[in-house]
Formats: sequence, C-alpha cells, structure tokens
Amino acid sequence: MDNSGNQDIAALLRRLSATNADERAEAAEALCRAGEAASGAAADLVRACGDADDRVREWAAAALEELGPPPPDATKNLAELAGSSDPLVAYWAVTLLGRTGASAASTATLLAGLVDAAVDIAVRQRAAWALGKIGPGASAARDALARAAGNSDPRLARLAAEALSLVGG
Amino acid sequence: MARGLVAVVAVCAWLVGAPVPVARAAGPTVKPWDGVLIASFNIQVFGESKMAKAHVVEVLARVVRNFDIVAIQEVRAKSDSIIPDFVRAVNADGSRYHYVIGPRQGRTVSKEQYAFVYDTDRIEVDPSSVGIVPDPGGRLHRPPMHARFRTRIKPAEMAFTFWLVDIHTDPDEVPQELDALSDVFRSMQAARPDEDDVILLGDLNAGPPQFSSFQRIPGVGWAVAGVTTNTRRTKTYDNLVFARPATAEYLGLWGVLDLQHAFGLPLDNALEVSDHNPVWAAFHPCESRPAPGQAFPGMAGAPPTRR
Repeated sequence: MDNSGNQDIAALLRRLSATNADERAEAAEALCRAGEAASGAAADLVRACGDADDRVREWAAAALEELGPPPPDATKNLAELAGSSDPLVAYWAVTLLGRTGASAASTATLLAGLVDAAVDIAVRQRAAWALGKIGPGASAARDALARAAGNSDPRLARLAAEALSLVGG
Repeated sequence: MARGLVAVVAVCAWLVGAPVPVARAAGPTVKPWDGVLIASFNIQVFGESKMAKAHVVEVLARVVRNFDIVAIQEVRAKSDSIIPDFVRAVNADGSRYHYVIGPRQGRTVSKEQYAFVYDTDRIEVDPSSVGIVPDPGGRLHRPPMHARFRTRIKPAEMAFTFWLVDIHTDPDEVPQELDALSDVFRSMQAARPDEDDVILLGDLNAGPPQFSSFQRIPGVGWAVAGVTTNTRRTKTYDNLVFARPATAEYLGLWGVLDLQHAFGLPLDNALEVSDHNPVWAAFHPCESRPAPGQAFPGMAGAPPTRR
C-alpha cells in the first residue's frame, strides 16, 4: 500500500472514533470496502464491533471477515480485546489471533481460559479453533482442549479435538 | 452454432463484458427464450445503508434483470423490508420478479440471510421445497438455503426442474466447509427420487484448485474457472457447482458480470455496489436437452423451433 493509502486508513480510523454515529458508520463502511488494505486497522475494527450503533457493528464485522491476518504488532491489543464482555468483540479478537497463527503463541493461556469458561459458546469454539491455528506453541492449552473435546457441544468438541492433534504432544 | 442457441449466445455476449449504454430502452430486459440464466451474487452487507443509496440500488436492479434467478448472499439487515423493497425496485420497469428469503443465520449477533430473486414470467418455485440444510454438527457457519425451481414452458411436463443451494462459506474454515458442502450436495441429490439436478452456488471463498472435496462426487463440475470473480479482480471465490451427467441441461455458457466494465464504474463506485461480481451459467429450459433435429419448446411465449 502506498503512503496515500496509509493516510486514507488513518483518516478513516479517526472518523471511526467520531462522536457522530453517521460518521462512524461511514468510516466503518469505507474500511470494509478497503478490504485487506485495512489490515492495520484490525484492533480498531474489533473494538468497533462493540459500537452502540448497529451499522458500525455490521460494517466492522463484515470488514473483519474479509480482512485476512492482522499485523504481528496487533497481537497485544487483540489479546486485551479477547477478554471483552461483548461477545462480538471477543469473537473477532479471538478469530484474528487465530489468523495470526504461530506468532500468537503468547496468547495460548488466555485462549485456553476462553475455551474453558467464555460465556458465549461461539467464543469458546473460536478459541479452540485459534489454538489449533497456533499449533505446537499452544502446548499450555492442552488440558483445556482435552476437557473441551469431551463437551456436549459437537462443534466445540470437534474443534478442540482437531486443535489437540495440531498442538501435538 | 445451432440456431436454437443464438439467442442465448447473444445475451451471454453482453453479460461477459460488452459495454452497456447509459440510456436503456424502457420495459423488461429481454431474455433468451432458449436458455435459463442462473446467477449468484454476494451483495456485500446488503442492508439499510445500501438500500438508502439510489444509485447503488439502480445498478443492483439492472444486474438482477439480466437473469432468471439470482441467488443472493450477505443480506445483513435488521429490517425485513430490504428484499421486498429491492424487488419493488427491480420491478419498477414492469418486470415481475419475486423472491424467497431464508432466516437470519450466523454464530454471532451479526447474521446473514440468503435470498433467491426470480423472474416469475419464466420461473416458478415450489414453496414447499424452501428450507435450510440441517447441520446438527455445526460444520457450516451459515448452512445453505435450498429451493426447487422449474422453468415456465409449455408443455409443463418438459420443464427443467432443479434444486438451487445457496451458500456463503466462512473464510476462516473453508476446507472444512467445502467438505461439509460435498456432503450437502450428495444429500440434495438424494433428497427426491424425481429430481436429479442440484446446483450449489454462492460465495465459496475458494476457487477450483481447492475443490478436491467436490471432485470426490461422481461427475461434478463447476461453471467458473480461470477468471476472477471479486470486484478487485484478484480472487475466484464465486461459483456454480453441479453434476454434469445429471445436469445435461447446462449449455456450456457461463460468465462473470464485471461491475466496473458492464456499468462503466470506477473501482470505488463498483465497490459501493459489492466486493463481488455476479457469476452466472446458462441452462436449457427443458429437462434434458433434446437430440439434434428434434423439435423443442422454449420459454414462455416463445415459438417452438428446430435445431
């Protein structure tokens, strides 16, 4: 992306924090249309999934679906957001950590905690999936994955079992 | 080229990229009488924001009018009026489209609906056939919607009937979802003993090199290959998948309606419409194609002809 693209994204990120909801919604929509060029805005878009305005949340979620992997320097912010009480924020933070792959190994304990105890089942499932994406570096999560592999939720059980085989050991 | 296919080819030539004049004649779009055009279109975040933009709705309506059926993905709206309002816009030129829409689906509070929008002058839907594919194992983020359609030709017993299965996969679990969809395809093939035609279409978030799951199904093929289907022209994500021996009605004609090219839009304006281009394939309106030299009826209102 050239410098003008970076400036565009930076300007959109400022508008994503505007007090006016229409302006935030327009910014979220523009970031969605930017596609993978907005990957540097990953953490901001995850945060926007908790916006009070429906339109901001929808465009932010749509942007994240197509965003691809976040930059490595987003891991710390995403790890903080993964603990959000807003399920949509937590879901997307965990998803982006999973997309980061092995580089997100430092978040394995956090993700294991979410597999065990996140209130929202979709967050628990995504955390199991993310641990599989991290792979052997997520060995700290083996016990949590083993427990989840016996869960009555078939998707959680399956993702946990798959993650266990990818984490190995 | 057989005379009977001339109409289809002429229309399809436009759909693959001939420029469209800005001013168009009033009245419904003329469609070929010897072909059924089935399309898939991921209309990115199709909701209140998009419907509030008249210039975007106009492009979307013009897209739909070119096809007999459009399988839509990514209806994302709190309101239930989006698709009805959109179909009213499509019908503003005298067309007579109607729609089928599915429930809101998704694992988070951000949910999507599938819809089929179809030209009632040329297509009928069996209302009892509309549903969502069961997914008790949670293998699919947004289980596909199915519906059975038939072409409106005379005599009706020669009409091409087919299942459409509309899907938008989760980009984070594509290989797993394609595996699940190959099972869906097989189950749809077996759903009715009197229906051998299944067309799975939508945003697969994958192109043919990733279709190993589908390739395990005997005779399966797909329409779109070797071209991009997203508006940025970087990826091949959208397709129509069907089994060739069964769906002999496939005419071998397919395309991608490139929004930038077809409507003379710069990239930013095309992205306002969607980040996907519609993809389409053409099928014969009769159940199984007649042998050369055999008379066959065409779509409603068309005179019969010989090849």
